[in-house]
Amino acid sequence: MADLFPPLATAQVDAKTKVDEKVDYSNLPCPVPYDEVHREAYMSLKAENFEGFRFDFSKGLNQKFSLSHSVMMGPTEVPSQSPDTTIKIPVAHYEFGANYFDPKLMLVGRVMTDGRLNARLKADLSDKLILKANAQLTGEPHMSHSVFNFDYMGKDYRAQLQLGNNALVGATYIQSVTPRLSLGGEVFWAGVPRKSGLGYAARYETDQMVASAQVASTGNVVMNYVQKISEKVSLATDFVYNYFSRDVVASVGYDYILRQSRIRGKVDSNGVTSALLEERLSMGLNFLLSAEIDHKKKDYKFGFGLTVG
Amino acid sequence: MAAKPSLKIKGKGKGTKVSSSSTSSSKYELVKEWTNWSLKKAKVATHYGFIPLIIVVGMNSDPKPHLFQLLSPV
Repeated sequence: MADLFPPLATAQVDAKTKVDEKVDYSNLPCPVPYDEVHREAYMSLKAENFEGFRFDFSKGLNQKFSLSHSVMMGPTEVPSQSPDTTIKIPVAHYEFGANYFDPKLMLVGRVMTDGRLNARLKADLSDKLILKANAQLTGEPHMSHSVFNFDYMGKDYRAQLQLGNNALVGATYIQSVTPRLSLGGEVFWAGVPRKSGLGYAARYETDQMVASAQVASTGNVVMNYVQKISEKVSLATDFVYNYFSRDVVASVGYDYILRQSRIRGKVDSNGVTSALLEERLSMGLNFLLSAEIDHKKKDYKFGFGLTVG
Repeated sequence: MAAKPSLKIKGKGKGTKVSSSSTSSSKYELVKEWTNWSLKKAKVATHYGFIPLIIVVGMNSDPKPHLFQLLSPV
């Protein structure tokens, strides 16, 4: 779903110069936001594989303002009755987007030919308070979602309040406990399926590795580990377990950031192998190849695309 | 009052034409109704106006781009 691919030279883990010195507990760094606790692991393990053809053209009018045109043609999955068969319907659509990036305000909007709008807003209300809003609006009634987040960044903690439509309320809090370890918790209440949930997360990071874990009252337990082998290579592994439905998935992934290309792939215990290659053909021209093979369900997805600008 | 159809039937199935109910509960119903109405209008306004808003904000930022740059494919 992301239309803007991350730049090829993104560093995996922030370089933290931690030496064996006495820890100053009053001067701990600010932790990553609660939603990004698994950020490094998901860069390799949840790459944006797609099926079909895609073409993205991005035109900058200004330092801050740009327009984007995207064409996507390919089969999309439709939920089917039996879990063994997947039904795919070929669709083609064109999406127009406008982006405005300012240090204090970010506006991203995408509209498709069928009238669906995907809008994102991020505004710095003050030095420490950030408002983020995300909405998917359609013409059909009761099919739109919107979420508003208020993030407060303290000295060594972050707190977030989330309000969504259909009476969704959530709050998260994450705190740095030592320079490397941060712990957090979340609580949410969803009005429509009257459910409430509680979750905890922990993240331990050094220069070379990041380990994180998350437990939620929905029954999900997620644990992952990322090791940065060198500037160009990092490996990640992930273990997801649901203690109500007894589903277990383990996966191993890699991320190679090379000079002209970036290749990410993973192998799963569900029999899914996937890879995504982003190659920079020349300045501003990126070529994408995506493959996802599900051996168990015999579902093969291949995609190719071009990104200009 | 029997000839007047109840206008306020929403999914919750509560008719608010009972004139003898206490003022606090009917105020609450009114507030709920007004917020629903305003949220619906806000949703329609966002749906049609968000992209034009971004374009207006972008065209007015420094350095000001030309209208030609907005429309041309190059």
